[in-house]
Amino acid sequence: MTTRTTLLVVLLGLPAVVLLALGPRGQRHVPADRTVVRYWEKWAGVEALAMQRIVDRFNETIGAEQNIWVEYCVVSNVDQRMLIATAGGDPPDVAGLFDHIVPQYADRDALMGLDDLVAEFQIDLDAFKPIWLEIGRYDGKLYALPSTPYTIALYYNHRLFREAGLDPDRPPRTTAELNDYATRLTRYETGEDGRRKIVQLGFTTSPGMLGWWHWIWPNFFGGRLWDGERSAIDTPAGHAAAEWIHQRRAMLGNPEMLKFEGTTGAIEGAQNPFLSERLAMLFQGPWMSNWISKYARDLDYAVAPFPSATPDKHHAFASTDVFVIPAGSRHPREAMVFLKYMLQQDVLEELCKEHGKVSPFRTPAPDFYATHTNPFIQVFDEMAGSPDAFGYPQMPTWAQTSAELLKMHESILRGVRDPHDAVKAAQQRIDTIVDEYQRMAAKRRGD
Amino acid sequence: MTQRSATVQGLLWTAPWWLGFLLFLAIPMGFSLYISFCDYPLLQRPVFVGADNYRELARDPVFYKVVGNTFIYAALAIPAGTVVAVLLAVLLNRKARGQAIFRACIFVPTIVPLVAVGVVWMWMLSPEAGLVNQAIRPVGQLVLPAAQALDNATDGAQWSQPILGVAQDLADGPAWLDRPGWAMLALVLISLWLIGSPVVIYLAGLQDIPTTLYEAAQLDGASRVRRFWHVTLPGLSPVILFNVIVGIIVTWQIFALPYVMWRSRSGPEDATYFYTMYLFDNAFKYLKMGYASAMAWVQLLIILALTALVFWASRRTVHYRGA
Repeated sequence: MTTRTTLLVVLLGLPAVVLLALGPRGQRHVPADRTVVRYWEKWAGVEALAMQRIVDRFNETIGAEQNIWVEYCVVSNVDQRMLIATAGGDPPDVAGLFDHIVPQYADRDALMGLDDLVAEFQIDLDAFKPIWLEIGRYDGKLYALPSTPYTIALYYNHRLFREAGLDPDRPPRTTAELNDYATRLTRYETGEDGRRKIVQLGFTTSPGMLGWWHWIWPNFFGGRLWDGERSAIDTPAGHAAAEWIHQRRAMLGNPEMLKFEGTTGAIEGAQNPFLSERLAMLFQGPWMSNWISKYARDLDYAVAPFPSATPDKHHAFASTDVFVIPAGSRHPREAMVFLKYMLQQDVLEELCKEHGKVSPFRTPAPDFYATHTNPFIQVFDEMAGSPDAFGYPQMPTWAQTSAELLKMHESILRGVRDPHDAVKAAQQRIDTIVDEYQRMAAKRRGD
Repeated sequence: MTQRSATVQGLLWTAPWWLGFLLFLAIPMGFSLYISFCDYPLLQRPVFVGADNYRELARDPVFYKVVGNTFIYAALAIPAGTVVAVLLAVLLNRKARGQAIFRACIFVPTIVPLVAVGVVWMWMLSPEAGLVNQAIRPVGQLVLPAAQALDNATDGAQWSQPILGVAQDLADGPAWLDRPGWAMLALVLISLWLIGSPVVIYLAGLQDIPTTLYEAAQLDGASRVRRFWHVTLPGLSPVILFNVIVGIIVTWQIFALPYVMWRSRSGPEDATYFYTMYLFDNAFKYLKMGYASAMAWVQLLIILALTALVFWASRRTVHYRGA
């Protein structure tokens, strides 16, 4: 071996040996005689740290008393990994999922029913706002418990309202008013080449700037997309929503809107056009205030419930991250001890505050609003109590349906299809998906 | 040693390979073929449904969309990649100062994780501040007056509208990630950035071409272009064939880049929704493992058919030395 080779081997080998001997260990030390409850969760970063602090506290107190050790593990794509682990016979004992997955997973026997365990562990479900429990139910059974819930409201820019001659203390109260405000808040400039372009937009339903709720609009016109058996897209509410989007864009100039939407940054982070005051109104969740305090500390804004088609209705979208116990969990009772601890009001509200979410409880703790990072959290919280509040459609085929609704929405936004034809086509396609699913389910049952 | 014990010993020594082949390839492939005839949502038992999954594929408009998108991507990325890679390899094969650095620059992008590539290119292609548009805008502003003049000269004829549209997009800086046509081109552009592996293979191929052929051509008075056309390309043709076939397989498996770069995954108007992405969605989002398996088998057949087609089409144009 030449000197050069020896040197290379030592240089490369030595760090490897040091890492092996002194490097990080995957497994933390679990005290003897503790039952390990594996908890997989999607949260990372500061959200994970907040959860880890609570898990540590549990391990030091209730866990120590009852010989349970919760092992918190951050898992990306937790739903898919949980499913594969469950199929492989080695699921975690607790998992944190998004609520829209619950009907699909419950229908496919991936989740454990929680009604009996909740009764056995005397968890007081009456303490929660009904909407958060409804979201966790499927086919009459409880499969998921709320962790960090949220509603979506209208953020609006005070300064831009004033400049447009609008009263900053009077946000729009109907979708028609929203259109009117959006028109008045949209400003154009003509370039050197004579072409008009939008420099400030009032409001948009573009998925690029909304995030995840392309399907939601018929709900503000009184429609609900699923009645438990059939999808309901081709309805008066569905057409009204499509027409509302189409008309507003036609009025403001769809090519100009597409250009603006295509050249503006994503909603997460500093490029968000609401933060740079190029977008006057935005449909977003309570976490938006974290981005504002990070990237646009001096932004003069307020929050209001998102308007419905008629002022007497207060449709509000409510969604929550949830705790589930996967089917085949080895320690469901120990998992339930942990979940009972998590569902204590002081513990769960601490987590919700750190995550910038609302409280799932009927009566939040007296200091919940005052100590929350979002100064408008009460608006979000009260929306969840609306009798017209709604969650994701509880369809076992939601993933596929949502993809079809995105296509429908995009075809309306881009003007490639008549809005009413787009609604009808989406209904047909979703009917096919649902029929196929139900046909297979019947075959499986042996009907 | 008897024949029997030699066989046993041979099997034992090769066991790591054939056991791995059986456990991780042959048996899973056999199982996937079986479940392609079943409804199988992963946690419930597979139910035999005959050819229903294949029949549903034939009726599924999304299936045709992803097949079309993947064909278009392959049709753009493979020829563009081949031309650029061959030309780069020829350049990198020339003796020049800093040759090793140039070679490293071309190869390094291929070892960057695809997720990082996606994130970096999202910034590069950012309509307002992206480097690509900073470079393109001046070109677009040069081209736009000509396109406008053409449009005026033809009284706004229908055929001149797309030209004017492209020129306007170039002058403004295209919304790469938000327009169907540009989104596909963005992926082709990135594929050209990731061209290091074929370039290295072409380089090896170039060094395998006998210098005597070039000398003979030179003596016959062939120019550089003619030497490239009549010596380099025929000499490289087996390598080109190899890279084109690898290209077909790779482009038909495109997944990570569009998955990372578009929030909706499928891109504007489903323009960047590719075969493997739809297969993945069926398997892990819609829990239709049977359907996804049927798609996987159809994909295998498509790739085999395309490979056979390329072999057939290349029978007169690929020159093997000594053949």
